[in-house]
Amino acid sequence: MDKNFQEQFTGIIKFTPPLYKQRYQFIKDLVGKYKPKKVADLGCADCTLLWMLKFCNCIEVLAGLDICASVMKEKMHRLSPLPGDYLQPAERSLTVTLHHGSVAHKDPCMLGFDLVTCIELIEHLEQSELKKFPEVVFGFMAPSIVVISTPNSEFNPLLPGVTLFRHPDHKFEWNRAQFQSWALEAARRYDYSVEFTGVGHPLTGMEKVGFCTQIGVFVRKYPQTTESAQSEKPTEAVYKMVFKAVYPSLKDEKYLQNAVVSEVIFTAQIIKQSLLDRLMSEHEEYNDDPTERKSKFQPSMNCFSEDLGKPLVEKSMEPFVNGNVVYIPLTTILSFPKVNRLCGTFEKLRKLIAGKVTLSSDGSAVMFDTEHENEEN
Amino acid sequence: MTGRARARARGRPPGQETAIPSVGAASYAVSSVAAGKVAPNYCRFNRLCQVSHPAVGNLSSRMFLHQYQKNLVAVDDRGALRVFNKARMGEGQKIGLQISAGFQELSLADRGGRRRDFHDLGVNTRQAIEHVQESKTGSSGIMIKLTTNYFRLTSRPQWALYQYHVGYSPEMEARRLRSALLFQHEQLIGKTHAFDGSILFLPKKLGNKVTEVFSRTRNGEDVKITITLTNELPPTSPTCLQFYNIIFRRLLKMLNLQQIGRNYYNPSDPISIPNHRLMVWPGFTSSILQYEESIMLCTDVSHKVLRSETVLDFMYSLYYQVEEQRFRDACAKELIGLIVLTKYNNRTYRVDDIDWDANPQCTFRKADGSEISYVDYYKRQYNQEITDLNQPVLISQSRRKRGTMMPGPVVLIPELCFLTGLTEKMRNDFNMMKDLAVHTRLPPEQRQREIGRLIDYIRKDDNVQKELRDWGLSFDSNLLSFTGRVVQGEKILQSGNFDYNPQFADWSKETRGAPLICAKPLDNWLLIYTRRNYDIANTLLQNLFKVTPSMGIRMNKATMIEVDDRTEAYLRVLQQSITPDTNIAVCVLSSSRKDKYDAIKKYLCTDCPIPSQCVIARSLSKPQTAMAIATKIALQMNCKMGGELWSVEIPLKQVMVVGIDCYHDTLSGKQSIAGFVASLNQTMTRWFSRCAVQSRGQELVDGLKACLQTALRDWFKWNKYLPSRIIVYRDGVGDGQLNTLVNYEVPQFLDCLKSVGKDYNPRLTVIVVKKRVNTRFFAQSGGALKNPPPGTVVDVEVTRPEWYDFFIVSQAVRNGCVAPTHYNVIYDTSKLKPDHVQRLTYKLCHMYYNWSGVIRVPAPCQYAHKLAFLVGQSVHREPNLLLSDRLYYL
Repeated sequence: MDKNFQEQFTGIIKFTPPLYKQRYQFIKDLVGKYKPKKVADLGCADCTLLWMLKFCNCIEVLAGLDICASVMKEKMHRLSPLPGDYLQPAERSLTVTLHHGSVAHKDPCMLGFDLVTCIELIEHLEQSELKKFPEVVFGFMAPSIVVISTPNSEFNPLLPGVTLFRHPDHKFEWNRAQFQSWALEAARRYDYSVEFTGVGHPLTGMEKVGFCTQIGVFVRKYPQTTESAQSEKPTEAVYKMVFKAVYPSLKDEKYLQNAVVSEVIFTAQIIKQSLLDRLMSEHEEYNDDPTERKSKFQPSMNCFSEDLGKPLVEKSMEPFVNGNVVYIPLTTILSFPKVNRLCGTFEKLRKLIAGKVTLSSDGSAVMFDTEHENEEN
Repeated sequence: MTGRARARARGRPPGQETAIPSVGAASYAVSSVAAGKVAPNYCRFNRLCQVSHPAVGNLSSRMFLHQYQKNLVAVDDRGALRVFNKARMGEGQKIGLQISAGFQELSLADRGGRRRDFHDLGVNTRQAIEHVQESKTGSSGIMIKLTTNYFRLTSRPQWALYQYHVGYSPEMEARRLRSALLFQHEQLIGKTHAFDGSILFLPKKLGNKVTEVFSRTRNGEDVKITITLTNELPPTSPTCLQFYNIIFRRLLKMLNLQQIGRNYYNPSDPISIPNHRLMVWPGFTSSILQYEESIMLCTDVSHKVLRSETVLDFMYSLYYQVEEQRFRDACAKELIGLIVLTKYNNRTYRVDDIDWDANPQCTFRKADGSEISYVDYYKRQYNQEITDLNQPVLISQSRRKRGTMMPGPVVLIPELCFLTGLTEKMRNDFNMMKDLAVHTRLPPEQRQREIGRLIDYIRKDDNVQKELRDWGLSFDSNLLSFTGRVVQGEKILQSGNFDYNPQFADWSKETRGAPLICAKPLDNWLLIYTRRNYDIANTLLQNLFKVTPSMGIRMNKATMIEVDDRTEAYLRVLQQSITPDTNIAVCVLSSSRKDKYDAIKKYLCTDCPIPSQCVIARSLSKPQTAMAIATKIALQMNCKMGGELWSVEIPLKQVMVVGIDCYHDTLSGKQSIAGFVASLNQTMTRWFSRCAVQSRGQELVDGLKACLQTALRDWFKWNKYLPSRIIVYRDGVGDGQLNTLVNYEVPQFLDCLKSVGKDYNPRLTVIVVKKRVNTRFFAQSGGALKNPPPGTVVDVEVTRPEWYDFFIVSQAVRNGCVAPTHYNVIYDTSKLKPDHVQRLTYKLCHMYYNWSGVIRVPAPCQYAHKLAFLVGQSVHREPNLLLSDRLYYL
């Protein structure tokens, strides 16, 4: 109970961590458990939950919906990719969208989600909206999991100063029985199972009032056959998209290519440098006569110019110098873990760097000029 | 406790919330960290001022920077406003010159409550300079049609900004709650507003002077809110201008540009330079200010160099490059002072230290009192896996409040930080800089196109257009055009008058082989080399014999000394061979290894003060350039020994010109060095050079005072009288430091002059020289845009009405856009016409002896820079004053 530690200090109940953080952490834990790919947050407000969820690696689509566009816009830019996301694109793809609209309306952009969260949302709904809510969320969106949280009015007497509702905009606050009967009815009608839990324990001795925030976790009983489910759904969009961010990802050819090209050139540079350093030190051991250097390089040049040249290079993993040009076989480069992880196969590597990196005539090795390196310094 | 231990004890990862300090206390903390080069510059300056000076009384200098500002207002990027009321005033106003007004104005700043006045708004220096009240423009030269990267605001809000005080009854403490309660009345207040918890800014006037409304808290408590009009800010007030800036930055954000430091960059189309693991993001700088005639947007292309490697990657690659025992030093050398960008949020930090005793498994105390390891924290908070558990951690001393965080050390994990910017090593890498320049140096036509693209983006984006309309802002779509002047080219006087093509601003060809004004003989000199470089040294000697006679340099054969390629060997030879008659010691070095160079320079600048010339063997090895290089070396050696190369006509008599520039040691973070160079003769061919080494806890300006005193003494020795005019060119002034300069440094100069003698009352001019400006000029020639020719002077339109300032394009560039230099005359009792000041400034740009051409700044500034750099990089203490009459640091 460490986490929900609370204290009664001159009559003020304080949750540590704060209750809203506990609610978000509850969702994060749920995401960690079920690994949903597509998550929507209804009533996302200032997008704090979405921001926390964007760090979850399993999620590929994040969507937020709110009735108030300005509150979403206020901090929506923190959902944009960071410079770091561009510098090292992630393996997974991620798209974040924000929509302006009501949970009483159906919009096809909310279809196909694995998890839909409604944190402290329903108590803000007018009677008419609340009536439509189950049909929209369970019937239309029909995600695998729905999480709904709402205040537990039985807890209110323990909160100082709360007379009617915890927030002036609340239209109602339910006790556990009210919430559970509403939830069970919705679950029954739309074929979901529901479990009740909550965050924010009361003090010892007051356990009977239950959690401060009550939570219902709904799980769809039967996997939906997407075909049939969506056939009868309206396609008219009623939400207005206010924000969209597509994160750079290695799934995108453009970013993958960039990453591979940089890694190949960088790796090749390292190999080249160590090769040149080695040759340099060998050559310094002999003496300062520059002709010595030429003759040292002769053998590799010879074997290249012979008829057997090409296959030899293919077989060989060894980089070599020919005149002013350093050749670094792609196979050598591919043996570096980072490059390997990015492209996997030789063919893919060749395809990705085609036209971006100077290759030998047979396309088996990266070529570098040694000359311009020594030009100036 | 050691600093490191303390850092560990207090350290915590960024983003970790701690107690919120009171708003009032935090308002004194002047922000310092910003990405890019300006930041360290400024930090240091901050430190310089840290110890209070007698003249300032007990005020700490941090306060000093702001003491005039009655109200400080901070607007973060979302437009939330914070206002800080300043009670402390008074003491500061007694000191300094009463030449600054407008400090009573409000000042706004952005992001994280930075209240730094980057544009030095409100520093009105012109009003104290009598003879430029009417006009500050020059007259000479021929007219030239120019365009510049400025856009006029064609319409701007007609509204004034209304400032309200918001009171709560009963009193509400939490800022968040106060906002929430107030904005329950959005219908009354409107959507556009800025509020800090007690002061509210609105673009519209409420019906009544005092408005009372009622809100209800969550707890059902009724609160009376009283909104009282306290101030009405006219549309031209700096606060309104800063509002425009904030609006504009919002637009850039809406265009999906990423903010890094002060500028905005486009991440979607990066230029990648894989050879060096660099990534360049194109972007824009922007600022909206009141210029001479109108309010304008100045926008320029900016490039952010980012590195696609983490600090940990970098450490690993360094590990393979250096020996084990040097590794930590090498890391410190390369990394400390760099700006890193964290992976998980968009923040930049300066690396101040590396803690090798810590690792990611160390724990820290969270705000709620629980202990957590860095690994767990980053895993939980950002889902960031730290794979290398043995890496050290980086320490950043945050000097300003970041959000809810108190200033103090911040611990960063190398694996989670990207490097940004270039290291010193990279800057010295010719190939890398060449590769970079291809992308970042845009020729005028292309630059103009890129700038136009921003305006295009803005016009095409509906959301941006709507935002602009809401605020009532619009911009001209064409670059500002106006007329500048090109002043006459200068004749180079060197045993005859030389004309040269002013387009190229270079006379190396014209004066090659001509006798120098004053040649110093090489009667007795040393040439030191390693065995491998014997041939090279010999060739150099032969070539010097060939080139020196025509210059008029008498030369004997050098004492040739062979040494082992070790630092101690060089030093021993120098100790043994230098006699009182030695003119100069020339060392041929086999590599550009800095330690050897440093040791030689240190010895010959301090313990054994004689001029020295180091040459890297490789630069002599190419036969085709050998003669040209020998010529250059001969000229340089001549200057170091006190010779003079050329001069230009200087009509002004009895004037001493002073150049000052600063070097800030980013590595040890301990020293700042001010180079001080003053002319000694009428032709300005001889210079007195001294530097002020300022360690922690000392005032830079004290050192400058001492420099000025000795310079005057030396001048007197040379001329038998004291100068009747002193003109100081002050370089190395960061954005936002003008205030300090005007109110602190200038009075100190005046004090110093007063102390020379009762009857001595010279005229003083202080000119702030700024190379880093975003202003660019384009000359229209035919249909194309070109760089304006050297000698272009601009003192209209893009200058500031409250300053006596001008731009000069003095140098010529081969590629890219030429950057004009900005000159701001902040103090002037000389009564010199603006035209004369401009001409003199331009003339001085011809007098730097290490370059036979025109340079960007007046020669004394460049000399001061060179001196400070040498001392800061290699010598680390004040060089022997016996050298002060020579340009030994060239």
